[in-house]
Order: sequence, then structure tokens, then C-alpha cells
Amino acid sequence: MNINEPFIKVIHLKYAYPDGTLALSEINLEIYDGEFIALIGQNGSGKTTLSKCLNGLLKPTSGDVIVEGFNSKNTPIVQMVNRVGYVFQNPDHQLFNSNCWDEIAYGPRNILLPEEEVKIRVEEAAAVVGLSPDYFESHPFFLSKGLRQRVAIASILALRPKVIIVDEPTTGQDSRQSYEIMDFLTRLNREHGHTIIIITHDMPIVARYARRVIAMADGKILADGETAEIFKQTSILEQASLEPPQITRFAQRLGHHGFDPGTLTVEQAVDQFRQIRERFVTRS
Amino acid sequence: MEPIIEIVNYTWKYPDTEKPALDGIDLTIMPGEFVGVIGPNGAGKTTLALSMNGLIPGQYHGIKLGEVKVLGKEVEEYAKGELQRHVGMVFSDPEAQFTAMTVEDELVFGLENLGLTRSEIKERLEWVVELTNLERLLNKPPYEISGGQKQRVALAAVLAMMPEVMVLDEPTSMLDPLSRKRIFEVLSQLRRTKKHTIIMIEHSLENLIPLTDRMILLSDGKIVSNENTRIFFQDAAVQEKGVYPSEVIQYFHSLKKQGWYEDEIPITLEESVERQEKLLAALNSASHQRGV
Repeated sequence: MNINEPFIKVIHLKYAYPDGTLALSEINLEIYDGEFIALIGQNGSGKTTLSKCLNGLLKPTSGDVIVEGFNSKNTPIVQMVNRVGYVFQNPDHQLFNSNCWDEIAYGPRNILLPEEEVKIRVEEAAAVVGLSPDYFESHPFFLSKGLRQRVAIASILALRPKVIIVDEPTTGQDSRQSYEIMDFLTRLNREHGHTIIIITHDMPIVARYARRVIAMADGKILADGETAEIFKQTSILEQASLEPPQITRFAQRLGHHGFDPGTLTVEQAVDQFRQIRERFVTRS
Repeated sequence: MEPIIEIVNYTWKYPDTEKPALDGIDLTIMPGEFVGVIGPNGAGKTTLALSMNGLIPGQYHGIKLGEVKVLGKEVEEYAKGELQRHVGMVFSDPEAQFTAMTVEDELVFGLENLGLTRSEIKERLEWVVELTNLERLLNKPPYEISGGQKQRVALAAVLAMMPEVMVLDEPTSMLDPLSRKRIFEVLSQLRRTKKHTIIMIEHSLENLIPLTDRMILLSDGKIVSNENTRIFFQDAAVQEKGVYPSEVIQYFHSLKKQGWYEDEIPITLEESVERQEKLLAALNSASHQRGV
């Protein structure tokens, strides 16, 4: 496959639920290998529906979703989920086996891989998420939420999908746990070559980790671009009732002093102040 | 004034755990205070919340030492259901809380229990429904609404009862930014009336800080810090205790560490912009003076 070809192509996608409710309309999107994307928007804006279209769980009402050349309309779902994995928001909605090994092995067994291959996949996925073999026999229910989430991610990784969509990875986590999960997704992205898409309401997390942001409202894409560029478009974000992180708003309020309205982290803001300060100190 | 909650040398240990979930807690809360409770997951925040409305020890097994008094009376001394009239609680997991078949029934149930008249019930119902934006959900059964919607219903149910004390355990964890903002506005209004004592567990410090008079930091079942909110965040070491202050606070601590800033650490966005303007003005006039 040509390296410049998008891995996922969404063309004029429209999706209506069976009761006629229009969830997505006129979605056009290209997703490339190695991207780290945040999908943001209010509940009901279509983020989860779009994700489910990307991995073939939902078929377009009209338009196309093409993943690595396969059109989701006429591709068996197994072929789709092998390419795009979706990790549920609440790992408990996904985990249902009575021990971690069976949980992670479920996907590979489902696509009828031989048991030796299943074993390789489970051990590989567990190693990537840092799940110690000590937990293989444990019931997922008795693990901490952070560990359950790792099991949920491992069970998706075992299918070796190129793209991994994680729905609200930091909900219910404290700050340290949130950074741990995000650092882990960053390793999957940088070291293991996975394309990562997170769905989240946590703007400081978006600012720190995502390189591209897709903002949705009312089933449409409102803005799509580099993270800093999207956070600069405050009036567009306002339409979706979204707000950039606090440090970005701080820098925007002080833009007339030379702070960058696309500031994403505290470190960047401190660095900008250092430069502004130097200008004053060396002026005379 | 008498404290509304008084916890003295309180220890709680669940069965089958080695360490107590709360270990020698001393805490006094005065009427009308808005207290933030923060700390890493597993620190004992939810256990503390459950202890304040009597669900611990009422509904949980375990060993209790010390005292937990609400309105001057030990929680166990209240008749069944009586304490819950004084202390309303919103759980982080709203599923745990739903008992009725429709949202409206859920809201009305608690009010009927308070012995309010029909017109009072109607009035309060209209008030909370508008406040929490639940008009369209009133006739829905709990299984047809999302987690975030349930969280709004749970909060509305407690608000409608207007209890003296409200204990809110991550009440906005499942909400999107818009609904979250609305809830924080409601809490900010309640705070201004000073009629309620509010204890709130929340990970988003950016939202929590402007509301709270006081911050309590729990870690490993102990109160590590219990301080006026402004004073609490002057300490640059809070980050080492597992707290990640909001971004503007981190920013000013960084400036201070570099020796570029010497004044008080601002705790809200508004204050921070003001402080930064002043700092730049001072730099500007200093450089002009040198230039002269």
C-alpha cells in the first residue's frame, strides 16, 4: 500500500439509526498511518457512532468507509475489526470472560486462529499493556479500573489492529492514572506503530497528547486540524460548547503581550514568558 | 456556631483488607462551608463520603473506631432514613442510586418522603428540572437514559430535597463539558446562598477551586492537608503529594521556582490574567527606568 494513501477514507458518510434519527451527515475524513487523533464534542454529537462506522460495527446509511482498501459495506466485520479496534468507555461493558487470559484470547479465537497462535497473541498483547502473567488467571472484575482498562485494550490488541480507538480513556481515573494511560497509548503510537484515536472531554489531555483534533457537533465535523490550530479557533469551538484548556485560554487572554494563542501546555507558556521577560530585561 | 459535621479520631476498616480505608481522621466542618476533597483513587475519599451520610456503618460491614457526628449526633443514633433527610448524597456511579421507574418518580419520591404538600413538590420539581435541564427526560425509565443523564437526575433528586448537607462524589464524571459547566454554575449559586454545607469530591481542580472555601487532601486513608483553598495551593509541594493543581497554578509555581515571580499564587484564570498583567507592567516600567 502506498505510504501516502490514507489508511482510512470516509466519503460523504451519512448514518441514520433504524428509528430514523440522523446521527452523522456529510462526514469526510482521511486518517493516515501513525496519527494520534482526539475526537471531541458534546455527548450526542456523533463521536461514538462515527467510531463504530470506522470499525464496521455500523454500516453507512449512505457514503463509504474504506479501510486499507476495504469498503465496510461489503467487507465481513472480522476483516474490519482486525484493522480498527474499539475499546469501550467503560471496560466493564466489554469484559465478560471469567479470567484475563480468556478475555484477551477471545478475539483471536473468534477469528479461528489455531491455539498456538492465540497463545502468541495473548502473551504479546499482555506484554504490551504491561499486564503481568500473574493476572492471567484472575477474574477481570477483581482488578482495579486501570488494570481492567489494560485488559480491555489487550483484548483489542490481540487482533493486531492498525488503528485503536479508545473511548474516554481517562474517565474515572485520577491525574496520575490518566497520565499513565495516555503515556501508554503514546508508546503504542510511537513504538508499536499504531494509529490512536481517543474520544474524550478532557481538553488538557487532548492538548498534551493529540497531534490532530477532530471537533464534532450535531453529527457533523466542525473542525479538523492540528491541535494548536483547532484550539485557536475559539469561536468555532464555542459553537460546540467546547473550551480549550485553561493554560490555552490564559495565553489567549494575554496574546497582546506575545503569548501564543496556540499554547498547549504549561511548559510552553513558561517558555514564552521567559522569552517575553528577556526582551524586557535586555531592552536597556 | 456548632460544627455541622465533627469527625474525631475516626478509623474504618473494611473486612478482608489489611489496612484501614480511613485511618485516624479528624475533621470539623461548619455550616455553610464548601469543602473540596481531593486525592488519588484509593485514598479513601468515597469511604469518607459514605461515612458522612451513615451508609457507613449502616450498609457496609467493617470495623469502626472513633466518632462521626452530624448535627451534633453520632450517625448510628439516627433512626433509619432520618439522617438521609439532612445529608443528601450523589454517587460517582449513578446506577447505584436509581430506585423508581421514571425520572419524574425518582425526583418526586424523595420529596413525598419529606412530607411536602403537592404544591411544594410541584414547585421544587419545576425548579430542579429547569436547573438540571431534565424536561425531556421526565417520562423515561432509568434504563433508557445515558450515564451522564443519570448523573444529572441523581443530582436533581438531591437538590430537590434541599438537605442541609450535600455530599457529592464526582458528580460530573460522566458529563460532557456543557452539562458539567451547568452543574458547576448551579453549585456556585448554591454556594452563594450559604444555606447548604457542601462536600465535594472532584478530580477537576480547575472547576473545584473557585467553589471551595477549603481543600482536604486524602492519601492512604489519612488527611495529609486541610487548608483554606488559597493557602493550600501556595505550597509548591502539593504536586509531590499526588495532586495536579490546575494549569495556571502550575504555571505560577514554575515562574516562582525560576525566581521570576514573588507574590501570592493566583488560583483562578481571572486572577492569573490579572497577576500576569501586573507582572509584565512591572517588568516594563523597570526596563524603562533602566533605559532612562
